[in-house]
Amino acid sequence: MKIAVLSGKGGTGKTTVATNLFATLEKGMLIDTDVEEPNSHLFLKPVILERIPVKKEYPVVDEELCTLCGKCGDFCRYNAILPAKKKVLVYPELCHDCGGCQLLCPTDAIRYYPRTIGNIYTGKTLSGRSVAYGDLLVGEVSGVPIIEQLREISGDEKIVLIDSPPGTACSTVAAVEGVDYAIIVAEPTPFGVSDMKLVVEMLGALQIPMGVVINKAGLGDREIYDYCQSERLEILAEIPFSKAYAKQYAQGGLLSETFPPFRETMELILDKVSKAGGRELL
Amino acid sequence: MKRNEIAILSGKGGTGKTSLIASMIPYFDKLVLADCDVDAPDLHILLDEYNRTEQDFVGLQRPVVDYDRCVACKACVNHCKFQAIDESIKLILGKCEGCGVCQAVCPQGAVSMQDNVVGKIFVSQTEQGALVHARLIPGEETSGKLVAEVRKKAKTIAEAEDAEWILIDGSPGIACNVISSITGVSKVILVIEPTLSGLHDLKKVQTLVRGFHIPILLVLNKADLSTEGKAAIEEYCQEQGLEIALEIPFEPKMVEAIVNRKMPSVYHPAFFDQIGFKEFIEKVQA
Repeated sequence: MKIAVLSGKGGTGKTTVATNLFATLEKGMLIDTDVEEPNSHLFLKPVILERIPVKKEYPVVDEELCTLCGKCGDFCRYNAILPAKKKVLVYPELCHDCGGCQLLCPTDAIRYYPRTIGNIYTGKTLSGRSVAYGDLLVGEVSGVPIIEQLREISGDEKIVLIDSPPGTACSTVAAVEGVDYAIIVAEPTPFGVSDMKLVVEMLGALQIPMGVVINKAGLGDREIYDYCQSERLEILAEIPFSKAYAKQYAQGGLLSETFPPFRETMELILDKVSKAGGRELL
Repeated sequence: MKRNEIAILSGKGGTGKTSLIASMIPYFDKLVLADCDVDAPDLHILLDEYNRTEQDFVGLQRPVVDYDRCVACKACVNHCKFQAIDESIKLILGKCEGCGVCQAVCPQGAVSMQDNVVGKIFVSQTEQGALVHARLIPGEETSGKLVAEVRKKAKTIAEAEDAEWILIDGSPGIACNVISSITGVSKVILVIEPTLSGLHDLKKVQTLVRGFHIPILLVLNKADLSTEGKAAIEEYCQEQGLEIALEIPFEPKMVEAIVNRKMPSVYHPAFFDQIGFKEFIEKVQA
């Protein structure tokens, strides 16, 4: 069973829920697909065993062969290749690696070469559990190839928890596409509800079953409860707002290891998710 | 008049970007607001909008196959590097990146690239100035381009209204949408938390902003959440020559303001006086 933990709004507690569910579950693998700002390793503290560079190809123009005809630049919809007066300029970060410029070059002056856009780190926790996270290099525009490779690496695992990126754009879809269940972590505030609606819409379009964990409960208002009821969304659990939790989190600690009620909440979530179709969890 | 664009970013999500920008609004005379967090736009929730207009946002074009002309030669299938056209010559929309290779290789001229609406841009009026915000259809990948459109629109309005300031609410992360939010701005405000994740994420976003040679002002939100966390951030800032321009202690009334859909600095002015918010604004406007 593949379970994604996501949120729409940032900072609602995705990583907290994902890492603590993982620690409570005692089996399976966790992948952190928030490759722009991955944090789960700060809490799980895995020993890193391997670094896998994630590559993408980009065009290099052979100036000897290039006649500056401009066909490459006219074709490229990403402005990644621009014929200037004396040479063709290439912006590797903007390139989508579609191969169009190479196809259209009449003098065969373009070749593609790989370059690294980020890394995947794989490792084991102290208790021997597999963890992998991606890390997009600063200046790169999209982490999607790293997310896809993380999903591939974890493809054969029976149980995978996926710590997803915030938002609802392409990287979030890459992280959650094809999962068996999605846990939405949301805050009971107007911002939380507004962003959660976009996530519910996205998961609906992807036909992924979902449930909601309300984090920092007691801090905001009741709108989220009304919304869940009107959309018939199951509330899996509520995690109360607590300064003690926030302090422990600040230092990179796992709440389930320190606070028995928090661990019980994680068990409750796992129990409900297993009832929703994940018998492997039991 | 010189126009100043200021972007508020955070790296890590949920550190308080929108609450901060909303609190800053009353201190600016003539401004335009641009919410560039296009897949989780929230700033409008705190403002009373009126006269909202909307327009479609066209992202990258998408191929449309004319099956009367198609002879199923599969040149498009074989050349598509994104596996976005299946064996029965059907487009898998979610995989298509709109490159146009299928059109270029089709010997029958059966593929045309057509405009594809992937979001909406809204312009509305508020008591405090015009607000431009947007919404990307979930799963779309042109958020960088949409952010650029939002900023362009905000600039046009600022010019027409002779507004000196444009405040930009950015998204978490460091990818295209964030890069697109900060190109050419005069200052970036980074809102961070005194946590291990906060410090980790600060390093990446700071590296990004530094790469563009943009001055940074740091705001440490929920500053009293963790003494150790705060000390670690302070040490890092000293190393990096970064100034913490404002510290905001944890205050439940901030959340109360959001719940009541009010700008926090208007809802609880005494708290903002106490933390030196006016002095912070002076630094922002300097």
